[in-house]
Amino acid sequence: MDFEVTPEQQELIDSVESVLARECPTALVRDIVESGASPEQPWKSAHELGWTAIDLPDDLGGLGLGFTTLGLVVEQHGRSIAPGPFLASVTQFLPLVCEAGSPGQLERFAVPAGAGEVRGALAIDHGRAARHELGESLRARRDGDAWVLEGERSYVLDGDVADEVAVAARVDEGDGVGLFVVSRGAAEARRAVAVDASRPLAHLRFGAVRVEADRVLGTPGQCAGALGRALERATVAAALECVGACQTLLDMTVEHARNRRQFDQPIGAFQAIQHKCADMFVQVEKARATAYFAMMALAEDDPRRSLAASMAKAAASDCQELVCRESIQIHGGMGYTWESDVQLFVKRAKTLEALFATGEAHRRRIAEVLGV
Amino acid sequence: MKLHYDASTEAFRTELRAWLEANQPTLEEIRADPMTSSAHMTEWARRWQRLLFDEGLLVPGWPPELGGRNLPPVQQLVYHEEIAKIPVERTSNPQGLGIIAPSIHDYGSDFLKEKYLKPTLRGDITWCLGMSEPGAGSDLAALSTRAEVHDDHFVVSGQKIWTSGAHHADYCFCFVRTDPDAPKHKGISVVIIDMKASGVTVRPLPEMNDREHVDFNEVFFDGVVVPRDHLVGPLNQGWSISAGSLAHERGMMWLRSAAKLDITLDGLLELARQPGPDGRRVGENEGFRDAVARAYLDTQAIWFMGYRGFAKFARGEISPEHSVLKLFGSEVAQRATLAATEALGVEALDVDFDGYGFDETFGLPPWMTQYFYSYRITISAGTSEIQRNIIAQRVLGLPRR
Repeated sequence: MDFEVTPEQQELIDSVESVLARECPTALVRDIVESGASPEQPWKSAHELGWTAIDLPDDLGGLGLGFTTLGLVVEQHGRSIAPGPFLASVTQFLPLVCEAGSPGQLERFAVPAGAGEVRGALAIDHGRAARHELGESLRARRDGDAWVLEGERSYVLDGDVADEVAVAARVDEGDGVGLFVVSRGAAEARRAVAVDASRPLAHLRFGAVRVEADRVLGTPGQCAGALGRALERATVAAALECVGACQTLLDMTVEHARNRRQFDQPIGAFQAIQHKCADMFVQVEKARATAYFAMMALAEDDPRRSLAASMAKAAASDCQELVCRESIQIHGGMGYTWESDVQLFVKRAKTLEALFATGEAHRRRIAEVLGV
Repeated sequence: MKLHYDASTEAFRTELRAWLEANQPTLEEIRADPMTSSAHMTEWARRWQRLLFDEGLLVPGWPPELGGRNLPPVQQLVYHEEIAKIPVERTSNPQGLGIIAPSIHDYGSDFLKEKYLKPTLRGDITWCLGMSEPGAGSDLAALSTRAEVHDDHFVVSGQKIWTSGAHHADYCFCFVRTDPDAPKHKGISVVIIDMKASGVTVRPLPEMNDREHVDFNEVFFDGVVVPRDHLVGPLNQGWSISAGSLAHERGMMWLRSAAKLDITLDGLLELARQPGPDGRRVGENEGFRDAVARAYLDTQAIWFMGYRGFAKFARGEISPEHSVLKLFGSEVAQRATLAATEALGVEALDVDFDGYGFDETFGLPPWMTQYFYSYRITISAGTSEIQRNIIAQRVLGLPRR
């Protein structure tokens, strides 16, 4: 197993890091959270610099660099808790369209999403995502060549701002999974008052929404495999963004421990603080290594890919739990305030923990796969 | 970044596997004459080590005259992966091969290299490592075993403890204080002591698990005369040898503990299928299921972190992974074995086992025994607290007091 980042990948990582540092300072995230500003520039850069097309094949206008390279870029987005459409559009919407779409649909949805002209979202069942399942809350029934969606999908990232939403719904035939693309406004959207306001989550209500045949992905009832593979990508991407956010929390905390003085010395000289920081480091390293493995397993379509995705999410979960708690603890009272940036990162990490199923759900999945 | 190595590396793996399959000692051979300490060189063990030496498969990164084939780092990694999968180690004297031989190679005089290096590599002689003392555990540099410096010899007096295999070892690679007036890191030297020399006394120190099978010892030195030419490296420069010695093979050492954890995990999966104290399958116990999932994830993560560290190691960078793997790995083993004892309830109290805890060819010891053993690994070779200090200070750059 070769974890060596290639020189080309390192160059890209460095470039993403410096662009985001310039265009996406934490002050921007705070601005979005506090005044609902909308971040145009980081997203503009993301597609102008080709980040949105990294994992898209050449024949669809993509760079064909694969999921591993995309994952490294997502991790950098997490480091600066970049807001905007990147995560939902590139790591959630695009994978599903690419897994299930016909050549015509790839042309219509994937190509513009890769170019950043269309912003996508993915509406799935987060509570059942670890097992790649769908509950009964959203159903699709056949109506001639078209299909009709009835029900709701909740906590859809960018669900009310994306141009196109890929939707997974229960159908009565085959494996029970139907995949559709609806445009913004087709469903009635209600923005959730979410813990991380820089990550807009919407509840979508589908009141007999008719989806024409050209917006039906694949054959309903034969889409469980495509949904599963797309969910694996989305899950690993969420884990990577979480790892990035946790790395920054660790960096901020270590910096604080070096500078903050009590009892005539930096608090970072106390072993009680040092050991907490060391434990945080271990968790970040564990989560990163596990997510990198999952990235490679998906990129190479390894048989372990499903297990790898659950491990990546579960490791990110362990990581964020410790890192969020101890970051605030070590920052002391100020860490608990609104004005501290720690809370912005903590809220992002908590959001990523819950999306695409929690670590606990993924551990249940791991036990199941191991046959326990 | 990729999951698989190139074709020539994989070809090497295939060839190596076949060779190991054909040449490794049989379980019957091993069980007939078990090794009972980390310096107990049985006949089969010596034959095996010599065979590896002659084949250039003992220390594959070294040249043929030192039991290697000058393999590049990636093939060395593959070698260690495959060696970790077979039930017998390369040597029955791991400290001799892994720490002392490389130290003599790096720091020893031509005389010492000539006299000790090849016999160590060929399994002719075995070693113990004289580091810890009753008053110098985590604070190793506080060691007080004295070596009086004379013109042509030293006179060593003092006590070592936790000396693995001392009762079987031929020689001790011993850290001694040669300048009591210098600051504590600057008055330490390394000498080679013949364990049969007059004034050396070894007292076994059984572990809590097993009074009969001893690896640890206390070693007493009472006016032991050591020839001057048995000084390793310059006088009073022993501290840098300690850092150097322990750094040897760190890039690869994690592989065997990861492989051991894989075996523990297989044991947990087996346990899941058995009836628990309440008559239900142990695997139906929610807490146990979660613990197994965690143990699996954490064990896999150790492999992944090890490989990430190796990428840095192969590039010649210092990687923090060693401390992370030591700290995390020992805690994973602790949690995993605890889960098994909890799932077993009163059944866990039965510790009947006819074998040696550190010899995998006898199968897994009872879970309670394994759990007790995990108390050792968060202490030995640098306690978890010391590992956290290292991570905090050397990796994260937090201030030393």
